[in-house]
Order: sequence, then structure tokens, then C-alpha cells
Amino acid sequence: MSLQTELTPGADIHHIHNTAPQAETVLTFKLADETFGISVGMVAEIIDPQKTTRVPNANALAPTLINVRGSIVPVIDLRFRLGMRPAEQIHTTRMLVLETKMKGETAKLAVMVDEVEDVIDTTTAELDTVPELGIRWPADCFRGVAKRDDTLVILIDADNAFALPVQ
Amino acid sequence: MNTPADTFLQEAVELLQSLEEVLLELEQAPQDAERIDAAFRALHTLKGSGDMFGFGALAAFIHHFEDAFDQIREGHAQVTPDLIAVSLDSRDHLGALLALGPNAELTASMAQTDEQLLARLALLKGASPQTAAPDQPAAATTEPTDQTSHLRQWHIRFSPEPGALKNGFRADLLLAEVAQLGALEVSCVTDHVPAIEDLDPAECYLAWDMTLTSEAERSRIDDIFIFQMDAELTITDVTPAPDQAPPQTGAPATTGDKPVQAEQGAAKSDSVRVQAHRLDDLMDQLGELVIAQARLKSIAESLDDTRLETTVEEIDALVTGLRDTTLSIRMLPLSIVFGKFRRVVRDLSAELGKPATLITEGGDTEVDKNIIDSLTEPLVHMIRNAVDHGVENTETRTASGKPEAATIRLGARQSGGEVLVTVADDGAGLDTNAIRRRATERGLITEDQDLSDDALHQLIFEPGFSTADSLTSVSGRGVGMDAVRRVVDDLRGTIDVKSHPGAGTEVTLRLPLTLAIIDGLLVTVDGDPFVLPLSSVEECVDLPESENGREEGRSILRIRDQLVPYLSLDTLFGYDASAKPGRRVAIVNAEGQRIGLVIDDVLGQLQTVIKPLSAYHRMVEELAGATILGDGAVALILDVNALVRRTGTNSLIAA
Repeated sequence: MSLQTELTPGADIHHIHNTAPQAETVLTFKLADETFGISVGMVAEIIDPQKTTRVPNANALAPTLINVRGSIVPVIDLRFRLGMRPAEQIHTTRMLVLETKMKGETAKLAVMVDEVEDVIDTTTAELDTVPELGIRWPADCFRGVAKRDDTLVILIDADNAFALPVQ
Repeated sequence: MNTPADTFLQEAVELLQSLEEVLLELEQAPQDAERIDAAFRALHTLKGSGDMFGFGALAAFIHHFEDAFDQIREGHAQVTPDLIAVSLDSRDHLGALLALGPNAELTASMAQTDEQLLARLALLKGASPQTAAPDQPAAATTEPTDQTSHLRQWHIRFSPEPGALKNGFRADLLLAEVAQLGALEVSCVTDHVPAIEDLDPAECYLAWDMTLTSEAERSRIDDIFIFQMDAELTITDVTPAPDQAPPQTGAPATTGDKPVQAEQGAAKSDSVRVQAHRLDDLMDQLGELVIAQARLKSIAESLDDTRLETTVEEIDALVTGLRDTTLSIRMLPLSIVFGKFRRVVRDLSAELGKPATLITEGGDTEVDKNIIDSLTEPLVHMIRNAVDHGVENTETRTASGKPEAATIRLGARQSGGEVLVTVADDGAGLDTNAIRRRATERGLITEDQDLSDDALHQLIFEPGFSTADSLTSVSGRGVGMDAVRRVVDDLRGTIDVKSHPGAGTEVTLRLPLTLAIIDGLLVTVDGDPFVLPLSSVEECVDLPESENGREEGRSILRIRDQLVPYLSLDTLFGYDASAKPGRRVAIVNAEGQRIGLVIDDVLGQLQTVIKPLSAYHRMVEELAGATILGDGAVALILDVNALVRRTGTNSLIAA
């Protein structure tokens, strides 16, 4: 199944340095043994895995939903978006509840991750462009790579990665 | 936001609205004294309060305007088509003056309109003495006659004796008789109605409170109740003393209009103006309450404590009552919207030279306020289209033996959980050939594409389909029809188009009654809970084992000699086909036909607070929303109409 997004794929990740360096706090998490980061400002809460409800005939990007204290929140299958193989839940599995702007509305969405790691400070100046050869995933999902000790933190571009599927 | 000035503006708009309706009614019934009074009253109130809030120009204009009606009241003049025309234009002018705001200068064009209208009014006034009563002086008196002074107000409390019904007592006839005496307000007293198990259906437990404003003597009221010897009856005179008449908000207390105000005060005292957002807040909190109640119920069930369970049951009943009351507060009669269209049709028919009358039916059908608010625009489009494109010109009509004046029917009725709003004309019907030609030109369909008439009719809702050019008088109906569809889609409704060539077109909007809470039937499909709107479920039957697991062939059940096609929800949802024994079929009424939906089990009935789905899931048409169950799990609410539409049951039935 191919997945198109509303934004142009292959967003321009090579020009991230053209603004003044900005400090950014990032939440890091693991997915399929890789470390990813997402801007802390987007993270509304981190919750234990909830019982998800299947949505019949839904797009594979958001196949289920959950109840987060009374609101219905779609669960984005980030593994599917990144072309990873589906995996079972493990004891460290958590759900990130994120707040995004979608067509001017604030919308909540949840993402299941294998493990929540840390909150780190970084600046946009520290970001490297994504080494194109080294990455197997759709490039438009990322803003760049930050180095942390000796691991690479791949920063998720939420606008693109979670963009609504076009019908 | 609720300053007195705002209140005045709000009331002024309403007054102008009712003035318009009264004028249009007067056009039909020029002798109706009650309507003439109503028009005068509206103007007089507006004049007084307008002056107070700095609308001097408005008040000055009304002063002359109301003169015309005063003369009619006095019998010095009569309602003529001219007068109605001037009055309607004057009404619009008043609207413009209001929109200008307080203490504003008139624009040049408005001042001109002002003068012209005053001249037309003066002309009518000048002409009036000859038409009516030549022996009366023509001078206009601004003092209204004291014709309401002998109006009395009676409070009547009537409780029939319990056995009255057995003796053939009919409350409706009796109340109607009282109503003939004057303006009557009735409320039913249900305090003595016992619990259902103690209720004897043959006994009368009801009583009525009435407030009658009438010129009638006490003896005439007594006469009506003369055969109710055993009933409890109290009749008290509650006519307000002239000096204690409750002053209308913002209206000046000039001596002349006191009786008028007293009457209005009485009519309005039992309603309260509430800001719409407070109702929304109430609704939100109620929604949370319903969910919390469901949670409480499931906890009580697991604890197995009788005392707790009784209390929970009580709360359950209270919440249901509270829900119904809250929903009913939000329900408004469609006549609010319908009223506006008589003017639309009147003006359009004059403008296009096509005589047309609007007949409205079912205006008392009640719909959620939010739905009403969004309905005006689509209905305007639909009615404009009906008059403009649907109705043929007079020559064509006469040639085909139709009455010269076209009839536009605007109707509403409730059907299950839906409200059907229909706009029908007796014009030429849709020209499917022209639609096909146009759609092909626009590349919407290919030339050789085989489409049913229904599918062709749906094309008129395509954006920009049939702009002003070639199609108009032939079949038209594209102007803004995409806007109609957008609004209806947003309301989770659907549109049906029926065309009878040569006999007219009928466009029906199917809308849900409410957007917030519905009664649902909780079912399971492959272990997942789903909610079917109870209003669309007709019955549940067992799936015959012979049909279970059937993958091919006809999916038709025979239910009491009726063949009902059915769909299996698990296959429809792409779930593993279940062949477990004891599956059930919910027979629903969708798109006007009975369809069976195969489910695993029915769990029960529940109140469902509809939560909207996220943007990721909104495009799944067969889902109407989601709801949170007592245990915190989420159940999806199915839109059976969309479900059936998507699967194309026509082919199912044909199969």
C-alpha cells in the first residue's frame, strides 16, 4: 500500500540551517532499536498502552483509536509510516499523546513507541542533515539528526510524518 | 454582550421578522383585524424602544408608518396590495436603519429611500378616505383606540374528576372551547400522575392551568365547564390593574399603549431568553454526566450491592430525564426558518414574473438548534432554484394545462431519528438529457457512461455544475447546490432528488434530529463493540444457521413473508469472517428500505454521547462518531445509511 501525504514528500531537509540557531528540548524514544526525537512542546502526556479500538476501513496510517480521558484520539501507526515491520507490545511500550495543529485546529494524536528514554537539550545548529544513504525511511518524516553521546537521535518532522492521508 | 441596547437590537430584529410575516399574512387576508393590530403593535413597540436607544431616524419613520396601520385599525382605510408592497419595502428600510446603528447619520441613498417611502405612505393615506369611510375625518390619530381596555385575564385551574374519561370526557374539545373565547395559554399539571405500576389507564390524573385573555364575561367561561360538575374548578380574575402593567424592556411608558403592553407581557412571561452558548455548555456537561453515569453503572454491577444498585437505577432515570429535557430545550420548530421563505418566494416570483405560492407543511417539526441555524442557507438555495429553474414560465405552464401560479411546497416531517425537509415544485422536472450533456462537457462523466437517472440527478450537486448559462431554464438547479450538499454533509444528513418529468422536482434533505446524544443499540462484531442508532433499528432476529458462514450466493432472509437482504458487518469491515453459532441480525431501516446487518451479539441498549472522530477517521463514511462505554472502552457509532449506500444495496436486491 502506498501512502501519500498532503505535503510534498521529500521536504527540503538540506536547508535547516538557514535560520538562527534555536534551543530546542527534545523527547527521545526508541522504535525498532533506533532512537528518535520529537519536540517536547508537542508532547501532551505519556501514558501506558491503552486498549485500542479498531476502526474498520480506516487508513493504515491511523488504524485504531483510544480514549484519553474522554476524548477520542487516533493512534498513528508510526511503524507503518516509516515502513517498519509491525511489532508486539513489550513491557516498556508507552503511548505518546501529541498535540498538533491540523488545518488551524489543535488535534490530539497518540503514537505507540517501544520505550521512552530521555529529555535532551539541543540546538538547531547541532542538527545534521539526514545522511541520505544511511536511512531506510521516508526522508520527509525527519527534520535532521542530532548527535547524543555516541548515538544518533533522528528528529521527527511531525507536520509531515503525521500529515492526513489524501484520499 | 447582554446590554439593554443589545437586547433591543435582538428584539427589534425579531419584531421586524414577525412584522414581515404578519404583512404577508395580511396580503392573503386583508380583513384580519388581529393581524392589523399585530402589525401596529410591532411598529409601536419598535418606535418607542428605538427612540430610547438613539434610533431617532427609525422612530421618526415609524411614526408615519404606523399611522397607516392606525387608520386601518380605525376603519378609515383598508389593506390594499399597494399598502402591503409599501409596508414590506418600509420594513426593509427599517432593517437598514437598524443596521446603521444608534445615533448614525443617514446615508444619502437611505435618506432618499426614506423620503420616497414616506411619500408613498402619504399617498396611501390621502387616498384612503375615499376608499373607506368618507364621513370620517382623515386626520391620523396616533393615540390607539382603547379597544383592549375591557380585556380581562382569567386564571382557570381545572382538574376533572378521576372517572371523567369513562364518561366520555374529552379534554381537547373542552380546551378548544375555552380557546375560542380569546388568547389562551394552557399548561398541563401532571403532579398527580402515579408511578407506572400504579397507573390505571382509564383514570384521569391530569389537571390544567389556563390563562385566558378575553373580553368574555365570567358566565361564558362557567358555561363551558357546566357539565363538569364533579371536577375541581377555580376561576380567578387576574386582570392586571392598568397601572401595574409590566413594562416591556426598553419601551417607554406612554399612556396610549399600556393595554397592548399588558397583553404582550402576559404572553411572554413563560419564556426565558438564554444565550445559546450556555445551552452548549449544558449539553457538554450533560454528555460528561451520561458517561460518568455509565461508569458508575458498570461499577455497581460488579459490586453486587443492592442499595447501590437501587440508587444507580434512580440516578439513571434522572439522567435520562435530564437529557430529554435538555435536548428539548435545544429543539426549535422549523417554522422559525420556514417563515423567512414566504418573502423569498414572493419577491422572486415578482422579480421573475412567475406567479408562485409557497405552501409550508409541518413547520411544528422540532429540530436541534444547531441544525436549524445551518439550514437557512441551503433552503434558500433550494427554493430559489425551484422558482428560478424548476418552474416553467407562464406560457409553457398554460400550454401544458397547469395552473398559471406555480406551487412550491416546503414541508418537514419526522421519521424515526431523522427529519425530512422537502422542497417540491410543480414545474417541469429535471431534464436528464441536459444534465448528461452538461456533465459530459465538463468531463464529469464520459459520453457512453451508463448512469441511472438517480445518479444523473446527483450530478447537480457537483461544484459549479450548471452556472447561469445554457442549462438554466431547461433544468438548471446547479446554482449553489454544491453549497447545499456541503452543509447537509456537515450535518451528517443526505439529499434525495426525485424528478417527475413534466410534473415537478422534489428535493429532500434527511437530517439527524440532534447532533449530541442518541439512543443506541450496543452490538459486537468480531469482539469489538459498535453502536447502531436505535432509531434506525426495527428488530433483531437470529441468523438461521443455514445462512451462517455462507460466503456466496444470495444474502436474503425471509422474515414473516418479507424478503430482507442482509450484509455481514465483519466482512464489510475486513475482519475475519466469523461463523460462530448464534449470530444475530439487526434489521435496520436505511435509505428507505429494510436491510439486515449480521452481528455477533446484541449487548443492550444505551444512551450514547456522540463524540466526533478525528480528522484521520472522519473520512470513513459509515462511522457517525464514537462513544465511550462505561468501562472506558470506545465503541464506534455506525451510520447505517452511509453503510448501506456504500455497499450499494440496489445491487444486493437485484442479485
